Amino acid sequence: MKIFVLFDGRGRHIEPDGDPESCPLETSPDRLVNELKAGQERLRSTPVDDLIGLCDAAGRAWTQPGDEVGRMMGGLAIGFLPLWLRRGSLEPLVAQALRGEAGAIDGFVPQMPGAHRQHRAQPRGVLVHWLAGNVPLLGMISVIQGLLTKNANLVKVSRQNAGVLPCFLAALAHVRYRRPDGSEVAGTLLTDAVRAIYTDREDSAGTALSALADVRVAWGGREAVESIMNLPRRFGTEDIVFGPKTSFVVVGAEKMAGQAEARKTAALVARDAVALGQRGCNSPHTIFVERGGALTPEAFAGLLGEELGRAARQVPPDVAPQEAFQILTRRAEYDMRGQAWYSDGVRWSVFYSDEDRGLATPCYGRTLFVRPVDDVFEVAALCSINTQTAGLALDERRLKLAEALTARGVERCPEIGQMSLYEAPWDGMYPMDRMVRWVSA
Amino acid sequence: MPFLPVSIFKRVALESVSERDVVRVLKSSATSSQTPSRVVLDRITRDRQMRTLAVLMSALMGSTRRPFVVLDAAGAQGADMELSARVAGLRGYLMMASETHYALEARDGRLELNVDKLEDLLSRLQARQLPLCLIGYTYMLYQYVVVPLARTGRRLQLPAGSMVLHFGGWKRLERQAVDRVRLDAEVEKVFDMDQPCVRDVYGFTEQLGIIYPDDGHGVRLAPVYSEVIVRDPVTLEPLPDGAPGLLEFITPLPHSYPGIALLLDDIGRIVSRDREHGGRYGTRFEVLGRARGTEIRGCGDTLPEQIYQVREMARAEA
Repeated sequence: MKIFVLFDGRGRHIEPDGDPESCPLETSPDRLVNELKAGQERLRSTPVDDLIGLCDAAGRAWTQPGDEVGRMMGGLAIGFLPLWLRRGSLEPLVAQALRGEAGAIDGFVPQMPGAHRQHRAQPRGVLVHWLAGNVPLLGMISVIQGLLTKNANLVKVSRQNAGVLPCFLAALAHVRYRRPDGSEVAGTLLTDAVRAIYTDREDSAGTALSALADVRVAWGGREAVESIMNLPRRFGTEDIVFGPKTSFVVVGAEKMAGQAEARKTAALVARDAVALGQRGCNSPHTIFVERGGALTPEAFAGLLGEELGRAARQVPPDVAPQEAFQILTRRAEYDMRGQAWYSDGVRWSVFYSDEDRGLATPCYGRTLFVRPVDDVFEVAALCSINTQTAGLALDERRLKLAEALTARGVERCPEIGQMSLYEAPWDGMYPMDRMVRWVSA
Repeated sequence: MPFLPVSIFKRVALESVSERDVVRVLKSSATSSQTPSRVVLDRITRDRQMRTLAVLMSALMGSTRRPFVVLDAAGAQGADMELSARVAGLRGYLMMASETHYALEARDGRLELNVDKLEDLLSRLQARQLPLCLIGYTYMLYQYVVVPLARTGRRLQLPAGSMVLHFGGWKRLERQAVDRVRLDAEVEKVFDMDQPCVRDVYGFTEQLGIIYPDDGHGVRLAPVYSEVIVRDPVTLEPLPDGAPGLLEFITPLPHSYPGIALLLDDIGRIVSRDREHGGRYGTRFEVLGRARGTEIRGCGDTLPEQIYQVREMARAEA
């Protein structure tokens, strides 16, 4: 059994673009977990307010102009993460997940105001996270939630981008939070309860890690997630799956009333497409545009091309050769049978055909397929548990369409421009709620 | 010159001639996408392809025809679509054969190597001092010939000047952790050759007629009928020699479809542009693999007859 340790209590052992198999080798998962549990004990005895304070301090530091970590996050198209770490974001997130009372993770609290009966959230224990290689830093979201719920976190990174998460954990370890009373807490309080590791998919370590887990957190594509879920687990182990889903945008005819409003809508859609490098399950690929506005869906596609080009200039492209090839194939196809707007190189592309219906197969690389609909409610029939986020550009009909879409499987219906923000609920759950056991006294 | 991505032939029917001029419709294997390419040939294109192939084959193995030992079973045509397609795929090469033998036998729906029969055949050819060509798909060479021979511990002698030609990609062998170096070593263990000559042939349906056999070490030469460009996957600009990128091939052969400049999803790099060791002039390149780590373009889709479905256009032939 080979477990390569990329980050532990001594810091990181890998460069951002390093080879995980050059890191120190551990052959005993039990030893790793025992070390982690010592770190977890310190977490358990610390108020959640301090843990949020540390995250907030990290978020503040990483949004300072010129900050190297923040710059790297921007480069990884996950620039929202520092904002997500801020107190204003995390406090309500913890409270929502913990039945409205964040203090329930620190000790017993009344079940209801004035009630005699008390309850609290106990950490489940050891969280094993399997991260996807496509958006490596998105895994920080589940790791941070694991820490806020005072669990030990064993994070198995993907070979692709293996060094990215250890780099940010190392940065988190250096953060300091000054309490209101002037005393300081170090970021190592958080990171001592995290180990980042790499194992080959074929190695028996995967089975051992699954058996150790109290909660299995899986990010990734269908094949990866299914192979993790098929590993043997102990009775009572909880699973949190952030699996493969696709997202889209619905633009109502009311947003096509004039050039200025349509352009504003296009700019927001473009922002959502560029965030996360269009690799997130919440990244839009298909843009349904309702006919009947002053601007046609085709005219909107042209505007979207201009705005996508503008947004794409601000973030360097991250396009794999296979994606580039797919994009070029679609460009050739739409040049022949529809309309295509695109950059030199493969920085961005927008495609339109009057004949196209349904959800487009994602092409990635900032590629958007604009498809006309006669009525926005037609889109509901296309939804299932495989559709995650529907960005809605609608006025009065917004909630009514959200009702129809979510009834068919869609998980989120944010305003356009906010699709990439991580919020709760997510994928149909409050993840932190799944990371704790509710007990009463 | 603008290029088309080769996969456009999977999505759009592209024809540069009228339907009555089409003599054949080729459908390539659909290794990764499940969708085959569709390429139409008119008489002009087909003739160009056959002539070019003949010249390139002569350059590879000399103008004298030689016995071919096909690493497949004979007589399978019509019985099994996959098998017949495989056998059909070899037909273009066989124009260089003075005689054709088949090394495998189909028994109960399974292919088997009759080692004694092969040894007997090789002995007879050896006695006639005829250099031969062992030819077949890469995975069949390994799976049905090399592995069974290695299991028996026997080493068969090939006549002096013989050659092993294989094609079709490495996807299946990669799953068994068999790479080029290992395959060559295993081939040399089971075949006794005075000068080992094992060649991997690269090519694709959409520019049929042009083959790119390697030099035994993975380096291939673009012949006078084609040129290769390596492009940056993001900017699409040509890359400096040595840098890996998407491979583009240019050839004047296609007349019936827009296949003159095609970009592939294979990653490669240019090795040199010089005349090397007194050899031929031209651009030398390596194929490093399919983009994003998938398989090298495969299934032996390199020859006019190597087609999974061939629809003869009787009207045009009449």
